Amino acid sequence: MTLWELNKGETANVSHLWEHLDDSVSTRLVEMGFETDQNITCLRRSVFAGPLVIQIGDCVYSLEQKIAEQIFISTQETIS
Amino acid sequence: MKKILLVGKPNCGKSLLFNQLTGLRQKVANYPGVTVEIKSGRMAEYEIIDFPGTYSLNTLSIDEKVAVEQLTSRVKDEETELVVCVLDATRLERSLVFALQAQQLAIKENKQIVFVLNFIDEVKRFGHNIDLDGLSRELGAPVYALSARSLDGIAEFKDALLTAEYKNFPVQAPRAPLETTKQFVDFSRSLAKTYAMNKDVVLRNQNRVDTFLLNSFLGGFAFLAIMFVLFQSIFTWATPLMDGVETIIASFAGFVTQFTGEGVVTDFLNDAIFGGVGSFLVFVPQIMVLTFVIGLLEDSGYLARAALICHKPLSYFGLSGRSFIPYLSGHACAIPAIMAARTIESPRKRLITMLTIPLMSCSARLPVYALLVSVFIPSDQYFLGFFNMQGLTFFGLYMFGIVTALIISALLSHSKSTEQEQSEMPFIIELPSYRLPHWKPLYHRVINSGQQFIKRAAPVIFMVAVGIWVLGYFPLNASLEESWLGSIGHFIEPVFAPLGLDWRYGIAILMSFLAREVFVGALGTLYGMEGADENIAGLAQNIMNDGLPLGTGIGLLLFYVVALQCVATVATLKAETGNAKLSWGLYAAYGILAYILAFLANTFI
Ligand SMILES: Nc1nc2c(ncn2[C@@H]2O[C@H](COP(=O)(O)OP(=O)(O)O)[C@@H](O)[C@H]2O)c(=O)[nH]1
Repeated sequence: MTLWELNKGETANVSHLWEHLDDSVSTRLVEMGFETDQNITCLRRSVFAGPLVIQIGDCVYSLEQKIAEQIFISTQETIS
Repeated sequence: MKKILLVGKPNCGKSLLFNQLTGLRQKVANYPGVTVEIKSGRMAEYEIIDFPGTYSLNTLSIDEKVAVEQLTSRVKDEETELVVCVLDATRLERSLVFALQAQQLAIKENKQIVFVLNFIDEVKRFGHNIDLDGLSRELGAPVYALSARSLDGIAEFKDALLTAEYKNFPVQAPRAPLETTKQFVDFSRSLAKTYAMNKDVVLRNQNRVDTFLLNSFLGGFAFLAIMFVLFQSIFTWATPLMDGVETIIASFAGFVTQFTGEGVVTDFLNDAIFGGVGSFLVFVPQIMVLTFVIGLLEDSGYLARAALICHKPLSYFGLSGRSFIPYLSGHACAIPAIMAARTIESPRKRLITMLTIPLMSCSARLPVYALLVSVFIPSDQYFLGFFNMQGLTFFGLYMFGIVTALIISALLSHSKSTEQEQSEMPFIIELPSYRLPHWKPLYHRVINSGQQFIKRAAPVIFMVAVGIWVLGYFPLNASLEESWLGSIGHFIEPVFAPLGLDWRYGIAILMSFLAREVFVGALGTLYGMEGADENIAGLAQNIMNDGLPLGTGIGLLLFYVVALQCVATVATLKAETGNAKLSWGLYAAYGILAYILAFLANTFI
């Protein structure tokens, strides 16, 4: 599933980034912390499919739908 | 002079540290077309050079590329003694990624680097203790802890710089092989595990405030309230300052002209210099007040939240959430608004925002609107018995500007090539912790905004003011109608005829290409009135008696909403986009669009 499907309050792990992402964008995402196995928590969803707010590592980011759909995650349940 | 480079990721408190280390004198170097701003200041015999906050040396946008190229060449520079990398001690993991990259760059050029853990006051407040020696051994470079706000550790750090104590520390690589991005990220993570404080503790406060400020309902109210204050501040706080500047210019003009007697020199000084150029200086306070309020929002951390709230609606028009503040500011004055567009993460969206800002009804249009609205709409007419019709018309004009801007943005964003799309940074922004802004960086920002405005706009305004004055003044002792400008007005009357306007409006429109508000005064003169600026109602009466048809009037209003009649804006656009052709092209394009709208209104209404 993608980060965009994460509900408020849920936690997951980053699994991988969409493989067709431009190299420079995916490098930046990794540098920002979107790296395999990093823990990611959804802090907030906005109305009308506005950007969501997540916590990853020691940072809080806001992402729009387009990019959140290009980050793949696995929730705890899927792991077990 | 020996140089020290200051680098770090955004929001690490670098600006404040720079201001604490250097004195009150700073130089700011701008690079045309990009948002890169490199500041330099003195600390004893050193020059400290402050680079823009960077997430990574692997660049995404042109702006980042320019910044990194500058950094690389400065690191190579022989005069460079040291690189100081600032880290946010409360967020070691993220700060370290860039810090390690910067260190690699320094090592490659055989330059020394030291790490500064800023925000140590907050770390202490949370009761955490960072093992500096351990971290320093891992990193292979000296590590200092300090707080740029509480000044803890600043004196020691200054001492260390001045005595070059770091020289006892040979240039050395960190204790991990660092080549791939993954290695940088992993090493940062493992260091953070050992040395950083608990992240949930750090983020708890900001998340708690966000529960309120980003709440769909309460957060919306807070947003509106904050924007209302911002908007009000531009008018209410700036007005006394603007009046003050006006008074100073007037008394200075009085003082100077008492020595020049009567004649051409005095007229030139009064009308072209103090009247023409002086009327621009009046905008300086407004620009500075606006910069101040936006600076407050940015340094406190709210700006990122505002962008988040506005992102979705604006994205339908190909804009970013960060376009909102520039648009709002554009209602005061396009110049600071265009400068505020620097915070927009995507260069393309930034460009589109800058190109459409001039459609916002800035305060210079107010006198023109006031005049024409009072010609056509009686002040005591109400819609549904409640809404004042004049007020509604004003609102309509503002909305017309905004809607036109959104339509043009949408068109521009669709028409632009999609190749650029790929490497476009998507909308992903960090929400920094809420923090109390410090006056020092703000002060420099505000002063700098005023200086930049004057530096960029003054030359072109001077030329246009002198040009218009000469045309309107000669041949000597002629009335405005008989002047060269008047002749031009008569000559080009056919151009304005399709709009239903006679030569007087033609001249007033020509003159207002210097600045829109000139229109009222010029038209007043042509109607044989002195001081029409202060007597808008009187001029409106004159125009009414003259019989200006409704369609023509609406056309003229729409013309003023759309036309980019402000050379200072064009000069600013030129500086910010680094593209003169584009800026003057925009000037022409909005002029043509305005003309077409006015023509349609005159023909069909
Ligand atoms: N408590 C605290 N606040 C700081 C410190 N350094 C900077 N700040 C504040 O943190 C915010 C961001 O700092 P700024 O210098 O603008 O960060 P920059 O983006 O790296 O230039 C501002 O409101 C500063 O006043 C510090 O050491 N302690």
